[in-house]
Amino acid sequence: MTLTASPSLLVAGIGEIVLSSSPDAHLVAYGLGSCIALAVWDPRTRVGGLAHFMLPSGPASPGSPVKFIDSGIDSYFRALEARGAALNRCTLKAAGAAAMLTLGSGLAIGRRNAETLQAALRDRGLSLTAAALGGNSGRTVQLEVADGRFLIKSLSSVTEL
Amino acid sequence: MTLTLSEAGQNVVAGTFGRAMKRAGEALGSMSGQVIEVQTPLVKRCTAAEVLTMAGGPESIVLALYVGINGSLQGHALLLFPPSDAHRLAQILLAGLLGPGELPMEPRADPLVYDELELSALQEAGNVTISAFLNELGMHLHEPVQPTPPQVVIEMAGAVLDAVLLDLVSDADQVLAAKTTFSEGDRAIDGTLFVLPRADSLRVLLDALGAIGI
Repeated sequence: MTLTASPSLLVAGIGEIVLSSSPDAHLVAYGLGSCIALAVWDPRTRVGGLAHFMLPSGPASPGSPVKFIDSGIDSYFRALEARGAALNRCTLKAAGAAAMLTLGSGLAIGRRNAETLQAALRDRGLSLTAAALGGNSGRTVQLEVADGRFLIKSLSSVTEL
Repeated sequence: MTLTLSEAGQNVVAGTFGRAMKRAGEALGSMSGQVIEVQTPLVKRCTAAEVLTMAGGPESIVLALYVGINGSLQGHALLLFPPSDAHRLAQILLAGLLGPGELPMEPRADPLVYDELELSALQEAGNVTISAFLNELGMHLHEPVQPTPPQVVIEMAGAVLDAVLLDLVSDADQVLAAKTTFSEGDRAIDGTLFVLPRADSLRVLLDALGAIGI
């Protein structure tokens, strides 16, 4: 199993969202460390989205719609709904929130990202279908819009959630 | 807090960082016994995504030597090598310490596997290189700058850099990134030194250089 490189590859850069309803689309976020990618996929309308969140909380940032989980998650969900996704039947899968370096001053950003995402989903009556959060390995993730498969690649393996 | 840096202020920072990066390259050269060319440093304000591009893209695999910068100037310094280049550097450093006959000089089958001795030599190289950079800056500052112990990570560049970037962009949209490339004479070893200062602590440096407000 390998991750796909094709013209229908849509990349969610740091702080960005990608959305698609095309069955050919592969949504990718590269090189996640402490960041979190949240993949949302509706099995009925086959609409998928991938958000590459950076930090737990802060003011909305127009240039990076999902820079912060708390101020960015609703705009991500609204964009998915506008494409035809209904959140209550979607799968929600997340990966990232690793601790790559010891930065001192108690900066466990990865762990805070994971806690903030889970709390934000709980507040909206949602929960993660599957997750690969924490650890100390970098991850590249890919959502297959055709069937909702969520692939996670690290230096040593490729796994599917 | 974001420091608004004028073009002239940024030029002063670029000049000072440039000299310090040259010192860092010289320190790596003297430690390894090799002639190290130091590319003209690039100092620019950019977004987190642009820093990842400067590092060769988020998925490029690197051996990263990380040193945190504390004290009057604060920030992060990273020395990045492609894994096979890091192996060559480790072999050169260890041959200098132990004698060439005592080391296997063949490239490893898996460039992502290092033994403890190699990692320790590379950590020391990161320490010496980044300390030389900080010592040069320290000559302009009235208060000391302290490096943290070096850490070594073999990972995707994006994953290593994102922790550092997240620390810097929590209250700013852009970071000030300084980057240079070190090359050994025959280009068998290419390393990239990144220095990412906290914007608010740059005031100390500008003040010391008499450049505040320009």
